[in-house]
Amino acid sequence: MISAKGLGHRFGERKALDGIDFELGAGEIAALVGPNGSGKTTFLSCAAGFLRPSSGELRVGGFEPWRDRRRVMERARFAFAPPALFEGLTAREHLRYLGNISRKGRPRLRAGEIEEALERVGLSERADERVGAFSFGMRQRLALAQALTPRPELLVLDEPTDGLDPLAVLELRKILVRLREEFGLAVLLSSHLLIEVDLLVDHLLVLNEGRCLFKGQPHELSKGNRVTRLRASDTERAASVLLAAGWSTVPAGNGELQLAGTAHDLEQVRTKLNAAGIRLDGYWEQSLSFEQALLERLKAARRNSSCEADSSISVTMTAGPIAKDLEA
Amino acid sequence: MIARLECVRMLRSRRPALAVASLVFFLALMLLGFYTYAQTQTGGEVDFRYTYENRSYFNGLTFALYAFYFGFQLVLPIFVAAEGGVHLAGETSAGTMRLLLARPLSRARLFSTKLSLALAYSTALTGGFLALALGVGLVAVGWGDVDLYPGVLQMSERHEHLDQALALQRFLWIWPVASLAMTAPLCLSFLLSAYLRSPVNAVACSVALYLVLFVVSEIHFFEELRPWLFTSSMSYWRELLREEIDWKAVHQSAASLAGWSILFSGLALARFRHREEP
Repeated sequence: MISAKGLGHRFGERKALDGIDFELGAGEIAALVGPNGSGKTTFLSCAAGFLRPSSGELRVGGFEPWRDRRRVMERARFAFAPPALFEGLTAREHLRYLGNISRKGRPRLRAGEIEEALERVGLSERADERVGAFSFGMRQRLALAQALTPRPELLVLDEPTDGLDPLAVLELRKILVRLREEFGLAVLLSSHLLIEVDLLVDHLLVLNEGRCLFKGQPHELSKGNRVTRLRASDTERAASVLLAAGWSTVPAGNGELQLAGTAHDLEQVRTKLNAAGIRLDGYWEQSLSFEQALLERLKAARRNSSCEADSSISVTMTAGPIAKDLEA
Repeated sequence: MIARLECVRMLRSRRPALAVASLVFFLALMLLGFYTYAQTQTGGEVDFRYTYENRSYFNGLTFALYAFYFGFQLVLPIFVAAEGGVHLAGETSAGTMRLLLARPLSRARLFSTKLSLALAYSTALTGGFLALALGVGLVAVGWGDVDLYPGVLQMSERHEHLDQALALQRFLWIWPVASLAMTAPLCLSFLLSAYLRSPVNAVACSVALYLVLFVVSEIHFFEELRPWLFTSSMSYWRELLREEIDWKAVHQSAASLAGWSILFSGLALARFRHREEP
């Protein structure tokens, strides 16, 4: 359904996307993950034909979105964040008017289809209220409903879980899985809620500063990723000594240090610390969770960028534990 | 369906009500202006039905003509410019342009639907204002024959007389003719709106540009520039209030305005079709 090869997009001098390769087949669910400004929405905007790729090739449903947006939209449906809706229209009118735009040669949407979509997102009881009075979460649900009416072959959702309560998030996950199983719907979503991504998607594309940081199945991200933690008699000095010896560490709480990467010569570490009069009290290896693995990737990318550009870059995320860890 | 959607959205918006309220307020001010002016001229002994400059010719049709003359030049273009700003820049700013473009709908069709609706709105507003001015004139003053003299409105270089029936017929003709004149600032506002993503900037620029061009076209210093400005042709509807209409001049002005409108809307469409929606 989506095929990107070397996709790039520039906003002036800034590369928002740089050489992205990505494939999404029918019936697959994939997620775009990355910090703010990593290029997720730019990728989705290119896929919708709103932005013209500066380089590379992009096809959605077999068509180039920038040239054939109308044909792409006959097969795909997009819901961007934050959900923009017509304030003066009711939820039902949104589905009726938007769903019946340009249905050449096809029958109009049946009232039953509209009711079904409203019920699916839990808006049946407020279907005839104007959207101006809706909360953010209700807008988000209506945006999803309009994207499902009429049912597309490809559904692209930008931050679909923003503003949804946990039950609604769970329901969204069920809806997407059911649509995939029943109708072979392909889904591409961008999300900050990594736990949802981990549970839902088949493929993952992690972006950072417009570049691909990881591409594959979610479990592959954490596969083989282990970190070494150590406890020393003086963690602050230990960090300095190890840094001077070429090992970078991050504080891991409880007086522990985490060594970046996993292949460490612990005997050398102990020797260096002992030589500096620091006692190594303990060490152990730890497998990374999906979130931790992603965090490590982002941290590593930040370190590499800092080295390359000789200046610090900031990596920020809007919510969740990763954001806190990165800020720390 | 897109046309129905746009119609419903316009009718549910506050824009038409706000425009009508403003035009009513403008007419009330005009009426008050006439009344106070008459009081001043008569030393406070005013009989409103037969006052103003000359009791022999002032009546409800004259009032409607004066009100429409000023409203057409200074009030209607503001609402027309705002319409262009709302349809493209406003939609972009609110994010709803993406909602529409995320449907199997070509940009050309979306643009033409919006422009057509804005043209219909502009025509309705022009006709409504004219009808309202005539209605207020009838109720507050009373109709009669129209006599025009060389003076404030620069409508005539000699005395023109139209009996009431003929004058009302000419007012009816003024509606489509004046509506055509209003398409040029409307299309200009669409053009600016296709470039500027902020509706405030788009409307402000459209109004400012219109006013500058209008002032330039009215000042004698810029006589050589006049043929190149669409604002110079906009008041051509005044020709319809002459005893003998100069149809050649009417047709020339109409053609000029249609040309400007096609140029502005063509450029706006070209820009809209090729612009990115970040």
